[in-house]
Amino acid sequence: MKKKKILLIDDDQDFLLATKLILEKGGYEVFMAENGKAGVEMWKSVNPDLAIIDMMMETWGEGFSVLNKIRAMEKGKETPLFMLSAVDLQGPYNSFEPPPDFPKVNRVLHKPIKADDLLKYVAEELGGQQ
Amino acid sequence: MTCDSTSPLILVIDDEEALRDGCRQVLEKAGYRVLAAAEGMEGVRLAREHLPDMVFVDLKMPRMSGMEVIEVLSRDIPDMVLVMITGFATIVSAVEALQKGAYDYLPKPFSPDQLRAIVKRGLEHRHLRIEARRLKEEKELLQKNFITFVSHEMRSPLVVIRQYIEALNAVAAEKFDQSVRDIIERCSKRIQGLEEMVEHWLDISKIESGAFVLPNVSIDLSSVISRSLEEMAPLCQKKGIRLETDIPSALPKIKGDTESLVRTITNFIGNAVKFTPEGGKITLTCSHDDCYVRIRIADSGIGIAADKLSLIFEPFYRCAGKNEKYHGSGLGLTFCKKIVEFHKGSIDVSSKEGEGTTFVIAFPIEINSSSLKTDLV
Repeated sequence: MKKKKILLIDDDQDFLLATKLILEKGGYEVFMAENGKAGVEMWKSVNPDLAIIDMMMETWGEGFSVLNKIRAMEKGKETPLFMLSAVDLQGPYNSFEPPPDFPKVNRVLHKPIKADDLLKYVAEELGGQQ
Repeated sequence: MTCDSTSPLILVIDDEEALRDGCRQVLEKAGYRVLAAAEGMEGVRLAREHLPDMVFVDLKMPRMSGMEVIEVLSRDIPDMVLVMITGFATIVSAVEALQKGAYDYLPKPFSPDQLRAIVKRGLEHRHLRIEARRLKEEKELLQKNFITFVSHEMRSPLVVIRQYIEALNAVAAEKFDQSVRDIIERCSKRIQGLEEMVEHWLDISKIESGAFVLPNVSIDLSSVISRSLEEMAPLCQKKGIRLETDIPSALPKIKGDTESLVRTITNFIGNAVKFTPEGGKITLTCSHDDCYVRIRIADSGIGIAADKLSLIFEPFYRCAGKNEKYHGSGLGLTFCKKIVEFHKGSIDVSSKEGEGTTFVIAFPIEINSSSLKTDLV
């Protein structure tokens, strides 16, 4: 069976690598992009089954702009997307509530993510391939 | 001297044509751009439109007086330097002008030198005022952003190390000897201590900088306590510590922030667990009177010497010295105290070495009156 593809978009190389190792252990093929622009480009060329996007890359909001761009594409309308955040609930963004027309985010994950949890959430979206 | 569009712009409002022309000549020659108006309304209009750096206003003019012009302009346009020109220099009118926001006054007749001197001084004053405000704003922004910045910059490496440990365990745990797995586990514990320290430090900084605002929400402490107990129960179980509780189902409401209180109570319980030997007991009870809800957390732990009791809320104070067994963030109780005080509460502690420690945390009950709402913002 062909491996399912996951795209990771995060500006921290180490976080990318650590997460990639976990996902590969789960049997997925993993692609990494270090910024929003590269992420969107890679999305087009790789056509992943799921993407995990960091909310807070270089500029606050870059993650959301990536999300918007992916959701605006035909093949990105239904793909499961996870957003990553390292901001605790006490942080300055705790008041953030997505507006009703906000593009769909399948899950918000908080860094760091436990390996078991990450694989479980991904498996839930991709139909239990582990 | 040439004047270009970046030269300071000066507006002269005076009904006397000779004075307007005189000022214009002197000032333009000195390199300033000059606008002139023959009466108050026209002057105000020009000032609003062109935002001059400095304005000279004659006190005695028909229709709108100089005093009114000063009043309007000092209110409307901050940083505009206003100078009152007075034909009959009385102290009273000068003081009044200064009170209404004028920078200075210039008695008639005045020489070109006097005019140039006051312009130079006034513009310097304006420059300093703008600079001072800019610095103040910059400082405030820096302070505000610092916490956000630190929260991102200090957490990022911790998050990554934690993620690598997760990856290491996921990828290779079964290949490692027990001794290697132990090392990874110890790393993980120390990282956790550092994470807690950063969290606590951030919370303390937020409170100290005023960035933390107490939400005006009624909360039920029993739900706060049960969430904390839920979180800490596994740790107690692991250490074989009995956790006995007695919490009334209905407690009077208090005003505050649920999340920070959950972390506070969790911290107190965690503290008790840390200093209570295996097989010991922790008791958490809750009571209230007309004014306060009291949470009592008592442990059968090692206790604290009387002379050290007053120091336990100090940052990085460790009763147990460098004993690794009792290692924590060093900021746990400091954080708890800040949060409790932030909720206008208080903490009492009593302890006996070898027998245990008891903390009693009291929170004022929310007063059910809309007239007192302004008290807590």
